[in-house]
Amino acid sequence: MTIVACLKWVSHPGEPHDERFSGMSPADQSALEFALRQAEQTGTGVTAITVGPSGADKVLRDALACGATRAIRIEAPTTAAGTDVATAIADHIAEAQWVWCGDYSLDRGAGSVPAFIAAHLLAEQALGVIAAELHDGSVHATRRLDGGRRELLEVHAPAVVSVEGATARLRRAGLHSLRTAAGATIEVIAATTPIHQAEFMVRAYRPRARELPAPAGEGPLDRLRVLTDATTSSAARGEKTTLEPAEAAERIIRALRDWGYLTP
Amino acid sequence: MNQPDVDVVVVGGGPAGSCAAIVAARAGLSVVLLERGPFPGSKNMYGGVVYPRILDELIPNWWEEAPIQRWVTRRSTMMLTDTQALTVDFRSEAWGKPPYNGATAFRPDWDHWLAGYAEAAGAQVLTDTTVVGLIRDAKGAVAGVRTDRPDGDLTARVVIACDGVNSFLAKEAGLYEHTDAKHFTLGVKETLSLPKEVIDERFAVRDRHGVDIEILGGTGKVNGGGFLYTGLDTLSVGVVLKLPKLAAQQQRPEQLVAGLKAHPAIAPLVQGAELKEYSAHLIPEAGLTMMPKMTTSGMLVAGDAAALCLAAGIWLEGVNFAMASGMYAGEAAVEAVQAGDVSENGLRGYQRRLSDTFVLKDHRKLRRAPELVLSDRVQHLYPGMIANVAERVFHVDNPHPKPGVRRILAQERKKAGVRRRDLLRDGWTGFRSFG
Repeated sequence: MTIVACLKWVSHPGEPHDERFSGMSPADQSALEFALRQAEQTGTGVTAITVGPSGADKVLRDALACGATRAIRIEAPTTAAGTDVATAIADHIAEAQWVWCGDYSLDRGAGSVPAFIAAHLLAEQALGVIAAELHDGSVHATRRLDGGRRELLEVHAPAVVSVEGATARLRRAGLHSLRTAAGATIEVIAATTPIHQAEFMVRAYRPRARELPAPAGEGPLDRLRVLTDATTSSAARGEKTTLEPAEAAERIIRALRDWGYLTP
Repeated sequence: MNQPDVDVVVVGGGPAGSCAAIVAARAGLSVVLLERGPFPGSKNMYGGVVYPRILDELIPNWWEEAPIQRWVTRRSTMMLTDTQALTVDFRSEAWGKPPYNGATAFRPDWDHWLAGYAEAAGAQVLTDTTVVGLIRDAKGAVAGVRTDRPDGDLTARVVIACDGVNSFLAKEAGLYEHTDAKHFTLGVKETLSLPKEVIDERFAVRDRHGVDIEILGGTGKVNGGGFLYTGLDTLSVGVVLKLPKLAAQQQRPEQLVAGLKAHPAIAPLVQGAELKEYSAHLIPEAGLTMMPKMTTSGMLVAGDAAALCLAAGIWLEGVNFAMASGMYAGEAAVEAVQAGDVSENGLRGYQRRLSDTFVLKDHRKLRRAPELVLSDRVQHLYPGMIANVAERVFHVDNPHPKPGVRRILAQERKKAGVRRRDLLRDGWTGFRSFG
């Protein structure tokens, strides 16, 4: 059985070339820990894989120090597109039974790579997992849903599981493992498909502008109240109803239009 | 004893540790440098002036790549009372050219840079690893260190302890006879952000030239001093406080920093600056008085761990002493390992190197200076007396004629309550130290 931990080397957005501020995301650390636990249970090893430039060797060495048995780096720029990263990884782990990923990385955090990997491998998936239990041949995963609800999943190999950062604390590497990992061999391979730069822009969230009619009201205070809804209970604008899914979706869209969040 | 894991283990990735590791690794020894932070320099609060000439021996033309903030071309010594300031200001263009003199620097950059040389020389730098104790052999000699990692024992022929001012390793090895709070000061620093052009204008400097202002007074009733250094687009401002006095006065250090920043001579310099960082650190300021034994079988101690910090009023240096002592510790370790004798006797080359160079020569020469500088008279009586003399000398009080300076001196001495014999004694001590 092959167990894979997909790890991403992330760096500080303001200091992209400074190794002092780079490393593994907490979510990836959790993923590695689950992979190591599963490997211990099943008596196998863990392959740590990353896609990135030579600086990314750092996370692989950390993984080796913690107990991973093999380390692979697929050569790529730091800003590789998520779909290409997933394709490159999937091409090299076609035989993998269990693939553990962090749910999203600290630098860009789209969280799409695990889903793409699962799609490529035609594997079961449990994404954004907040708790995982390892069983013989399966993983019981808990996902977060709206309203404080939880979704419980039982996934079987081959499967991709992506976990949140607080799900497991990565074990501390032993001193001598750390020393050995510093000189260990990392397999560096080329991607089998082209890897493109991701097109993304980091900017502050800015909601779309929308036209509002002039508020009604006698004086400025009245108009301000109307404009801000300051005296209107937010509950008064909501409604609770039971509908079929298609009707419910239609009703939500209509409400969003009425409230001005969607264009008519 | 079984074959040790490595020849030399260096504890602490500061300037002393990295220089020790560079020397030992370049000599072909197997070296591990252990740093408790995520990278060398990560925990440092230092924001002062580095005098790196000693690096000539390790890194030729170090100034071409050293991560400095500004080259210090203006050196000011300021004496403050609540409402007065007397400043001696010196500037030299020569200090702004190779081989330079001092530079302001941030230690997270400086230490990281130096550790890179240790790594390049072949030392293995292991971070996030805290040394929690010493390993001893059957004869009681130091034979390695115990870390907080699983499977964390690391045996070595020589341990070089560069673990900072509290040096638990030097204490565990019995190298400190005793430690006393009166031997330490607390350095408290704020890093303030200002645009480079504002700093250039306020401090009358250009390009990478910068200013080092050392301040006597300005710390209220707590003995100590202040400092203000220019970074590229930051200012480091803070105070150094004698611990027993700080405790006795029951004052918060941040209040004293705020007081210094509000002083009429300082406030215009820091006006409008944004606070980026606040930090504090102990400083071993007592010089020879507090220094430990530097060597025991299998172990050397260097840098702040060996109390090698020079706090002598007009000279405030630490990083150069750390780098030099680390370098000499590395050389002594190489000598001992190659000779196959890492006993205390085999490592005696370290003490010899320290004694023959500025490291201990400066400390011997200035051994009385720390006590003098931090004494009550120098701290609380002389600044006011001297500032009053200056004020009266420069004050034009027509139609009264100008008084004689000697008469002003005598009057102000009496007004300050300074006895003539104390003044003479302190003057003589100062002359013997600095003369």
